Amino acid sequence: MTDLEQQVEAIKARGDSPAREALDEVNQPMIRHWAEAIGDTNPRWSAGEAPPAMAQVWTMYGLDPNRPSTDPLHETMRLFDEAGYTAVLGTNCDQTYTRTLKLGERPRITSRLHSVVGPKRTGVGKGYFVTTTSTWVVGPEADPETVATMTFRVLKFKPGTGRPAVDRSATVRPVINRDTQFFWDGTAAGELRVQTCDACGELRHPPGPVCPSCHAMDRGYVVASGRGSVHSFLVHHAPQIPGKTLPLPIALVDLVEGVRMVGEVDADVQIGDDVEVWFDRIDDDLTLAKWHKAGTAPEVAVQEDPASDLPPFALDITPTFVVSTALATRDFQDVHHDRVRAQAAGSRDIFINILTTTGLVQRYVTDWAGPDAQIRSCALRLGAPAYPGDRLQFSGVIVSEQDGITTIDVTGRVSGGDHVTARVELTRSATTSIQPRGGDRG
Amino acid sequence: MAEFSGAASIAGIGATEFSKESGRSELQLSAEATLAALADAGLAASDVDGLVTFTMDSSSEIALARELGMGDLRFFSRVNYGGGAACATVQQAAMAVATGMADVVVAYRGFNERSGQRFGQVQGWAATQVNTNGLDNAWTYPHGLSTPAATVAMQARRYMHEYGATSQDFGRVAVADRRHAATNPNAFFHGKPITLEDHQSSRMIADPLRLLDCCQESDGAVAIVVTSTERARDLASGAVPILAAAQGAAPDQFVMSSYYRDDIGIPEIGVVGRELWRQSGLGPGDIATAVLYDHFTPYVLMQLEELGFCGRGEAKDFIADGAIEIGGRLPVNTHGGQLGEAYIHGMNGIAEGVRQMRGTSVNQVDGAAHVLVTAGTGVPTSGLILGR
Repeated sequence: MTDLEQQVEAIKARGDSPAREALDEVNQPMIRHWAEAIGDTNPRWSAGEAPPAMAQVWTMYGLDPNRPSTDPLHETMRLFDEAGYTAVLGTNCDQTYTRTLKLGERPRITSRLHSVVGPKRTGVGKGYFVTTTSTWVVGPEADPETVATMTFRVLKFKPGTGRPAVDRSATVRPVINRDTQFFWDGTAAGELRVQTCDACGELRHPPGPVCPSCHAMDRGYVVASGRGSVHSFLVHHAPQIPGKTLPLPIALVDLVEGVRMVGEVDADVQIGDDVEVWFDRIDDDLTLAKWHKAGTAPEVAVQEDPASDLPPFALDITPTFVVSTALATRDFQDVHHDRVRAQAAGSRDIFINILTTTGLVQRYVTDWAGPDAQIRSCALRLGAPAYPGDRLQFSGVIVSEQDGITTIDVTGRVSGGDHVTARVELTRSATTSIQPRGGDRG
Repeated sequence: MAEFSGAASIAGIGATEFSKESGRSELQLSAEATLAALADAGLAASDVDGLVTFTMDSSSEIALARELGMGDLRFFSRVNYGGGAACATVQQAAMAVATGMADVVVAYRGFNERSGQRFGQVQGWAATQVNTNGLDNAWTYPHGLSTPAATVAMQARRYMHEYGATSQDFGRVAVADRRHAATNPNAFFHGKPITLEDHQSSRMIADPLRLLDCCQESDGAVAIVVTSTERARDLASGAVPILAAAQGAAPDQFVMSSYYRDDIGIPEIGVVGRELWRQSGLGPGDIATAVLYDHFTPYVLMQLEELGFCGRGEAKDFIADGAIEIGGRLPVNTHGGQLGEAYIHGMNGIAEGVRQMRGTSVNQVDGAAHVLVTAGTGVPTSGLILGR
């Protein structure tokens, strides 16, 4: 067993940390700041109750850089920092709530190190998944009442040891003019358009303003069948290409209509293979026609607007939103408010913190379910960062409704992919009695 | 055209050292190469009245003229399409001289192509230029087809499929170039020959192209002095007559992505070849040695076919027994080529052609009376036939 592993075991062996009391009791000003920043207008948050998503906010440390040595998460982070695993990425945050906190209550938190798994090779680098479990209680020490639990997992990794992150939004943009606009409008609409000469009928790709055969300038387009065969292909290995994952297979496709086109293709094609088109939406401005072997599914699923039982909700992310929500959740990590420091840490920009994502998911669900709905649990899996300038689009699917509990899968998507996928359980009435779940206390 | 053939000559060649980091500006590199070429010719900067370079060159003709204190310029011109411009700069110079538009024209090219902007990386500017070249690149770059090696790989794969050529066949070009570079003190890979096994074990760049199928990225400059053959005969290094000089673009031509023709080869160099034979009255059998633009090995095979040194699809057999190595039937790139000497956008190949005609190459082909030199292929291109 390595020194690191021994030290980790020692922290695990300590079990629950001593209870640490919130710096302030549950109070209206902090709730109001939080609700304003998140945009949660539920009237209960101005009538004596605190949003469940704020559970963790009450026991955040704030700006004081000192942490008690009894805090297992920070002690574990310190060990890995010293071992060179200096970067951190939240991956999961699962919370359960017994009831809402009330004004004047002062929750206490106890935490323990649940597990450390690794080292793992991940996309961002070599690292360890560190999982802690926490419990918030109120009431007398002799007879504490559990109000919320949390299982929190982070990846602690060595920066610079992963595959370079692929930012699809960095894809090289086509120069488009009035002769070629129709083609790109077509891909955005899910159509593969081929220019046709309205005078002599000749098809042409790439398009241009004049028919080379008859010199007519009266032109239109046909929508191609999207079927073709591979005329040639290559697999690009180096150097890196903005927005692309390597190795990158690219084909020259003979369309059945008789023209040729370049496009990304499945990895295992050969010359002569039949292929079919699919449309990969990079963002609002660019959709690329790509190809997959006929009779197979594309290697990357077509990103259509997801089916949603809940009305979709789109949030345009601004720097103000990122910073105000970070502060309203008492999260002073520089990556959430200081662009220079965020970029120095390898991020594109500042980004939304996990406590805010938790709040947004719950706001989205309760905006739909109504103010009386009571969030029972919220299990988050985190993905692509949510940066200013992007749009966070929520959708939700009802998984089940039984025993008074509605289970909803929420997806929050940004241009880089899924920012968050979450499973939320709620009851439709705030007065429904809920027993604390066993929870993952390790 | 008979009047053109041989009317103008190359009277001087000059170059900087070839390196991975020159440590000086591109303008300084071009100035150094120009001074060296003028010294080789025994001419002064004040004798120059014409300048030609590539549209891609960062040093304007007037900037170079200022640095060297040149007098009146009567002729200046630039040629488009990357490395396809190389031989065409000499063509421009020769036409100006042959028609009396200028007396002494310097064709130059200087860049920090390794320590500065590297052509092997994705060239964002090429995809975003708001002109027809940028529009053309819209059909490739957004799909990730955005490096020279990758664009060639698309043609190379089809060529392998059509004619049964293999990666080893491409590798033989690299082996020949590196053998020649090994004895060239000015080559970056001086003293570093490779084997076919080295080629086969080099990493994939754009499958089917491996690292050793791709030319170097280099810093440096080359300049070529052109004047009338009559005048050049009396100058310090004598005359290397320009017997033919041609440009070529073929129907449905694109830059590095002419993928929409029935045959996705490089017919543009065939256009150049036919014109070179017509102007010079020569044929492939008259050529003792050639400098074939070798940014990527597959294009050397395709050029041998387009220029008529062998039939279509037969280049792999033509080179199999070392025909393009020194001592073979047609030694190619006796300076080491751009794979072995340096990548100076083809201009260093023209200088090697001149050395072969002067009899001063480190890998001299005995009795060579004519040399054929080509410029970058896969793009609108150009070529020269030089004589003695």
